[in-house]
Amino acid sequence: MRSEPGGASDVLLDRARRGDARAFEQLALEIERPLYRHAARMLGHDDAEDAVQDALLSAWKSMASFEGTSFRAWVFRIVTNRALDRLRSRKRHPELPLDPPSENDDSVSWAEPVAPGPELADLAADREALRVVEDALATIPADQRACLLLRDVEGFAYEEIATITSTEIGTVKSRIHRGRLAVRNILISRGWRGSSG
Amino acid sequence: MHPFGDLSAYLDGALSSEARARVKAHLDTCALCRTRLAELRGTALLIAALPTPVPSRSLVPRVSVPFWLAPLRTFSTFASGAAIFLFLASAVIAYFPRAQSAATAGNAPAVSQPASSGAGDTSLQPPSSLNFNAPSPSAAPAVTSDRTGAGQSATPRDATKEVGRQDSAGPSANSVVDQSTRARTAPVPEPAPFAILLSPWLWLVLAMAFAAISIVVGRRLHST
Repeated sequence: MRSEPGGASDVLLDRARRGDARAFEQLALEIERPLYRHAARMLGHDDAEDAVQDALLSAWKSMASFEGTSFRAWVFRIVTNRALDRLRSRKRHPELPLDPPSENDDSVSWAEPVAPGPELADLAADREALRVVEDALATIPADQRACLLLRDVEGFAYEEIATITSTEIGTVKSRIHRGRLAVRNILISRGWRGSSG
Repeated sequence: MHPFGDLSAYLDGALSSEARARVKAHLDTCALCRTRLAELRGTALLIAALPTPVPSRSLVPRVSVPFWLAPLRTFSTFASGAAIFLFLASAVIAYFPRAQSAATAGNAPAVSQPASSGAGDTSLQPPSSLNFNAPSPSAAPAVTSDRTGAGQSATPRDATKEVGRQDSAGPSANSVVDQSTRARTAPVPEPAPFAILLSPWLWLVLAMAFAAISIVVGRRLHST
């Protein structure tokens, strides 16, 4: 999934910090597609392009003050924050709830399969299943969706996701579990099932 | 007590070593939790397998391009459009006075025509209004030759008629000569100081130059 570039990107990062525009463009080019993928899943295609371009421009303007080691995580933080802000300010869609009041993750309900069906692990190539997953992601709370995408699609570690979303690791853990469970429940309700370990 | 809430973190390797060992020990004895774990694993795989959307354009900002390039392209584009407009306007201005003067020159023989026809022989009407000077000189010699041909028997009265006819033709010819003389002796207006600005060619060249600049700068802005 995620591959953190090695020494070459460190050199580019140093040059970009010193104001080398071409070095920054090279760094941005490497993460352009993942950034758009993340923004599109968060916002939809209409607003994703603008969000990514704004985020990259904002990153360039504050490049000199960047002190971290992961340029990728830093830009993803900018994009995620912009996406969440935009989702909160949208008026034409009802506000998706943020994380529901914290309840014990152990007590969150699990939907039961209605009838035997294909196993979830076998559905990776199933177009219909992917479409259901895509629709399901759009229905879960934005904070859960952000953490889930950062983990399952972009491959960030829990500590990085906590930095990106400016939350605690425990909150990240809870959001990922709830979001994944919500998608799982929708798939189960459509007739898919998980294998018995 | 089923550690459902820890299953995702267990799947992602995000538990502490103690918590991981505890969950693993439970999974070894609980089929339900193993099923739940497999479902979460399948869900995570499906999310990871989602197709990657592609943007319709490059999203990397052109920060390495000189800041004045974009305004230069905008200026060149508008300047090219303005130069094309001025080219058309100057072409109309340059052509229109010539058309007026051509029309004026064509009307002059028609003005003098009634004088000659009123004086006498209607058969000597000039054929065309544009054939300004020709009719009168040709008419006069024709008359003269006719008279000369018949001149053998020309009488003073005929000569008088001829003189009268020539005189009748004279004023028109004289008026033509006068007019042409007036035209030749009319003071030539001095060229305006900025007459070059009325040249259509100037504006055409400028339009093409600005268009070329706009195209080159535009390609530079869009280059990777």
